[in-house]
Amino acid sequence: MLSFVLRRLGQSGVLVLIMSILVFVGMYVVSDPVAVLASDDFTEEDRIALARELGVDRPLMVQYFSFLSNVVRGDFGTSFVYNKPVLSLIVERLPATLEVAFLAIAIGLCIGVPLGIYSGLNRKRKSTKTISFLTTVGYSIPNFWQALLLILVFAVWLKVLPASGRGDTTLLFGIEFSFLNLDGLQHMLLPAINLAIYKICMQTRLARSGTQEVMFQDYMTFARAKGIPRPRLIRRHLLRNILIPIVTITGLELGGLIAFSTVTETVFSWPGIGKLLLDSIHHADRPVVVAYLILIVMMFVVINFVVDVLYALLDPRIRYT
Amino acid sequence: MKKTLTTLAAAAALMVGGVAQAEVLRMAYSSAPRSVDPYPFGGATTAGYKEHIYEALVGHDDQPLLSTGWTWNSPTSLTVHLREGVKFHNGEPFTARDVVYSACRMMFKIDDKRNLLTSSMGPLTDVVAEGDHAVRFETKNPYPLWVQKMKFLSILSASGGDVPDGPIKYDATGDCGITAYPTRDDFENGDAAVGTGPFKHVSFAKEFAVMERNDDYWGEASKWEGVEISSVSNSGARFAGLLAGDYDLIENPTNEDITALDSNDDFDFSGKPAWRTMFVVLDVNAEGAPGVTAADGSAPLANAKVRKAMSLAINREAITDRLFGGNATPANQYAPSYRAGAPEMPALEYDTEKAKALLAEAGYPDGFTMQFNAPSDRYPNGTRVAQALAQYWSRIGITVELNTQPWSVFAKARRAREMGAFFYGWGHPQGPAQMISFAFASRDKDLGLGSSNYSNYSNEAFDAAIKAWAVETDAAKADEYVGDAMRAAMADMPGIPVYYTHSLWAHRADLTVDGRQDERTSAFMVSYK
Repeated sequence: MLSFVLRRLGQSGVLVLIMSILVFVGMYVVSDPVAVLASDDFTEEDRIALARELGVDRPLMVQYFSFLSNVVRGDFGTSFVYNKPVLSLIVERLPATLEVAFLAIAIGLCIGVPLGIYSGLNRKRKSTKTISFLTTVGYSIPNFWQALLLILVFAVWLKVLPASGRGDTTLLFGIEFSFLNLDGLQHMLLPAINLAIYKICMQTRLARSGTQEVMFQDYMTFARAKGIPRPRLIRRHLLRNILIPIVTITGLELGGLIAFSTVTETVFSWPGIGKLLLDSIHHADRPVVVAYLILIVMMFVVINFVVDVLYALLDPRIRYT
Repeated sequence: MKKTLTTLAAAAALMVGGVAQAEVLRMAYSSAPRSVDPYPFGGATTAGYKEHIYEALVGHDDQPLLSTGWTWNSPTSLTVHLREGVKFHNGEPFTARDVVYSACRMMFKIDDKRNLLTSSMGPLTDVVAEGDHAVRFETKNPYPLWVQKMKFLSILSASGGDVPDGPIKYDATGDCGITAYPTRDDFENGDAAVGTGPFKHVSFAKEFAVMERNDDYWGEASKWEGVEISSVSNSGARFAGLLAGDYDLIENPTNEDITALDSNDDFDFSGKPAWRTMFVVLDVNAEGAPGVTAADGSAPLANAKVRKAMSLAINREAITDRLFGGNATPANQYAPSYRAGAPEMPALEYDTEKAKALLAEAGYPDGFTMQFNAPSDRYPNGTRVAQALAQYWSRIGITVELNTQPWSVFAKARRAREMGAFFYGWGHPQGPAQMISFAFASRDKDLGLGSSNYSNYSNEAFDAAIKAWAVETDAAKADEYVGDAMRAAMADMPGIPVYYTHSLWAHRADLTVDGRQDERTSAFMVSYK
């Protein structure tokens, strides 16, 4: 187990390094922060001075290594645009993203898995065909369009939920959360549903195919022959066995939701990190983009690791040596 | 908390059957104000937000605001007479010392980074308090433009704990003997956000700003008890938020939004011609321009006849009518024709046959090939206009390769001078010569001319006029020089003006919006019918 962890850490280090080079060089080649920041009444002297203050007048290699040595010391740099430490920019927006991501995952699991098991157990029923059709539709709707549709229906026509923004927040451990009060929760609901629809469809399909596969295994036939009651059969024997792919995918999807719910956050003006990433790319704010993506890579590494450990817990046959 | 109160107030208003009107104005901007601190960032959004709280000596309309007028002592020395009886939000009186302090703060580098608005300070060498109610500004070179530029110097109160008593001595580093300036956090939590404006800072966090009315305002107090500014960059979501009742007014509705409002009695839209000229920059370098090639190897854009033919090929009315539904004005010069001080000019002709003849006369009967660049995410309808322009030019035989790209990429290519022809928009808050003095003048470091001359244009008559304008403190004479410069440039067309943008707002039907020309959105322009 220890050597597995060490190997994993080594791989992750290399991954983060490659990632940082790619993003750093990419942003350097594509955009010029001075050109974006300087207004039209800047003289050429103003522009040169600005480039010096931002440190972007130095050769690419020098900029990269000074960035790297700062990162090692825990300093991810200062945003060109906000003139604030990048880490604090990301951290102050993280709670907003996390709470919506977790809510979306929870909705996805709570609705998707039961629906999937139901479909798997009752393959011939009409309701199963309807579910199957709906998941296909849910899969194929473009996210931004679906978001606008949700706003149109729930905010504009029915006027039951707010269209955008974060609403009231409540302080918990010094962090602002929306889910602790009604107004905040209402604001959270549409973005969470928008993210959850795709998850519901995916979990339904995963659970269904898992169920169909497991139900025909010998041990299930045996368990049935033993006379185990159906609820217990489903809970103990079926659910546990279909859980492995669901755990894997949920882990990865959680990562994806935290890192890249940019579209949803932009449409609902949800002040999370996804929106920050998009805005920063627009403004050529390289320190934010680079730090963001490095942190995201680290997060995926951790999530994958946790998923691997969960495997071992769920399936006694899996051992890491 | 404030938000809850607003919601309650709105609910209460609904309960009494709409008799009582909600007194907090909720506006949605199309991008986010970047700071409470007035100096680090320019841009219409940040400026629009902060002018609720802070005021300057000169207002957005070039008229005295915190001043009562000014006198030129010499072309390099201006005395501004301050308005008396003005109080800051903290109750302190507004005096000349606050102006000197604000100038110091503008020049001071926070964490060794200049404030982006510092560029508007130009060649200022000294700011001196003359008694309590007059300030003298000294410049290295004659700088008449300072009168317009004063609007960027928001006035802060010098009464904070870290400002030593007694007079403040200005210096260009902004040090000025001041022990410590307030930090970014001091501004965001409101301690340092002390101006003279009609609203007071309440909170500003992650793209949501709340302000309350300043009841002791020196001018006429606002009818609005408070203002809330949200930032919704997605235009569909912004419009939906308006329809859903989340906002009372939104910025920049799209053409489609406006069409949709035709059949909706609850909402309306307002527009106002803005001080922004959309034009095509052409690199007139005789050595050739990047991305522009002719069969004979010559430089077509260096020929004024070619540039005029390209202008003749454009049907400006069709662009403003069809693409903007009339919410844009055809351009006839580089400054908006309705900007005070802009000369009278004839409308620009549209004549495809004449354009073809002129192109043949210039030696390009079979046209030439030109890459035309436009930012895809910068200007409303920008991509569609660029497509229309490309089509007009291909009608007279020019082979146009249209290249649209994101602003951050476009801006880099522009600064690196990699584009021979591109689409661009220039605002004119500093008067009618703002664009031509930067975009077409030969480079002059001392007078700050020609810094953005991406056309590589040089014309003696034009330069002479613009240099005379740059040092002329007499407003009437300055306008004459602007007229001379404008006519000289228009005769040569180093760039092709296309249209002037309009600012648009969609809002509740029971509000009236008296829009502004400087592209800012503020509570001052909104009132109940």
